[in-house]
Amino acid sequence: MRRRTAASKGRHPKKGVALPLDGEVIHKTMTDKKITFKIKRQDKPGSPSYWQNFQVPYKPFANIISCLMEIQKNPTTKAGKTVAPVTWDCNCLEEVCGSCTMVINGKVRQACTALIDNLEQPIALEPMSKFPVVRDLQVNRSRMFENLKKVKAWIDIDGSHDIGEGAIMPDSDRAKRYVMSECMTCGCCIEACPQFSLTNSFMGAATFNQVRLFNLHPAGSMNKEERLDAVMGEGGITDCGNAQVCVEVCPKNIPLTESIADIGRQTSWQFIKNLLVK
Amino acid sequence: MTKPAKDEIHYILLKLHSLTGIVPVGAFLVIHLSINSLRTVGVWPFQLAIDALNNLPFLILIEIGFIYIPLLFHSLMGFYIIHVGKTNMFRYRYQRNWLYTMQRLTGAITFLFLIYHMGTTVGAKLWEGKHYFEAAPFLIDILNGEFQTWQGILIYTIGIVSATFHFSNGVWGFCVSWGILIGKNAQRNGAIVFAAMGLGLTFLGLATVLEFNMNPVSVEATG
Repeated sequence: MRRRTAASKGRHPKKGVALPLDGEVIHKTMTDKKITFKIKRQDKPGSPSYWQNFQVPYKPFANIISCLMEIQKNPTTKAGKTVAPVTWDCNCLEEVCGSCTMVINGKVRQACTALIDNLEQPIALEPMSKFPVVRDLQVNRSRMFENLKKVKAWIDIDGSHDIGEGAIMPDSDRAKRYVMSECMTCGCCIEACPQFSLTNSFMGAATFNQVRLFNLHPAGSMNKEERLDAVMGEGGITDCGNAQVCVEVCPKNIPLTESIADIGRQTSWQFIKNLLVK
Repeated sequence: MTKPAKDEIHYILLKLHSLTGIVPVGAFLVIHLSINSLRTVGVWPFQLAIDALNNLPFLILIEIGFIYIPLLFHSLMGFYIIHVGKTNMFRYRYQRNWLYTMQRLTGAITFLFLIYHMGTTVGAKLWEGKHYFEAAPFLIDILNGEFQTWQGILIYTIGIVSATFHFSNGVWGFCVSWGILIGKNAQRNGAIVFAAMGLGLTFLGLATVLEFNMNPVSVEATG
C-alpha cells in the first residue's frame, strides 16, 4: 500500500496518536498549566515582522487553533501588554482544507491537527515563508491558484456542442488518481521546497501533481500537451532539484515525487515529439 | 522549426545540463578512472594506455568537443542551479534533502579540483609541448611527485570522492528527471544500484592513488 500513516513515519504525530485520557494527562504540561507561544507577527503586507510571546491556560486535547482562539479572547502578551489579536486562517479543522497551514516549531504543517500535547514549548508559530504575508499568520497563496490555471488543472466538458459520454477509466488509474486528487493546495510542499522562493517562478510539486492527475484522466488527456507545454519552461519541471522534501511533509501523503518523475517522463517524450514532429 | 521561445531555451539548457552529466562528462569520468586503474596492474599497461590516448588522431578536437565544452557547460549550468536553490537541510532533515545539498557541494568541489588537476597535468603537458609518446613519461613523473606528499593525496582523495559521489547521485537524478525511475521502490532500488557503482568508482580511483604513492616508477618514452 502506498499510503503511510503519519504516526508510523514518526513525524507529524497527528493521526492515530495516543491521546492522554482524563486523569492521566501528560504530567510535564500539567505542572505548568500554561501553554507558551512565540508568534511571528506582521501588521500588514510588506511591513517588518516581529516576535511576541503569549501564554494561554493549559487544556487537555488543545490544538493550535483553540489556543489562537484563547489569545484572541485575551490578546495580552506574556509581558502583560495588550496588543492587536493574532490573526490566522482556518476553516475545516480536520486537515482537509489546508487553510491553517503555518510553520509550527520550524516545520510546516496544519495548525488544526497540531496537538499541543505533542509539541515542545514554547511553541513557535510563523507564517509560511514562501508566500506573501497578509497579516500575522495569514498568507496569500494565490500563486498556487495561478499555477493551477496555467496548467489547466481541470477537465473540459461540453463546449458549444455535446461531446458525448466520457471514456471509462481503468480502476487502477482511478485508484492512483484518487490519492493524487486529495491535494488541498495547502502549500506544505512548497514551503519545504529548497527550489521554491518568493522571487522565482518555480511551480512546485502540487502543480506537477495536478498535471499528472488530469493527464491520467481519459477526457483530461485531450489537453495533455497543453498542460505539458505549460510546465516545460522557466519555473517548470526542469527546476525541480529532487530534494524530495515535498513528499515528506505532504499531510495527505500524496506520492508527489512519483508525480514529478512521471511528469519528467511525459515532458521528455513531449520534448522529443516537439523536436521531431512540429 | 520556429525560433525557440525563452521557455523552450530554459527547458533545453536544463535538460542538456542533465544529459551532459551522463554523456560525455560522466562517461569520461568512468573511462578516466578505469584507465588510470591500469596503474595498479603495473606501470607498463598504464603507459600503453596513455600512449594510445596521446596518439589519437585530432586529439585536441576530441578533447575540446567531447570534454572541455560539455564540462564547462555542465559546470556553468551547475553554478546557475546552485544559485537558484536555497538549502534547508538543517530544518528538514531527510536523507534526500541532505543528498540535494551534497550534490551541489560536491559539484562545486569537483569544479575547483578540476582546475587544480588539469593545471598540473594536461595544462603542464600543453605548456611544455609534450605530445604523442613524450606525454606518458612527462605525466607519470608529475603524478609520481604529486602523490608523495600528504597534501597531494588529500587533494586527490577529496577530488575523487566528490566526483564519484556527484556522478553516482547525478545518475540517479538524471533517471528521475527524465522519468526513467518513477515509483518509490524504483527510485530507492536505483539509488542503491548507483551508490554501489559510486563506491566501485571511488575504490578504483583511490586504489590508483595508493599505487602511485607506494610505488612511484619513472618510465622512458615508448616511441
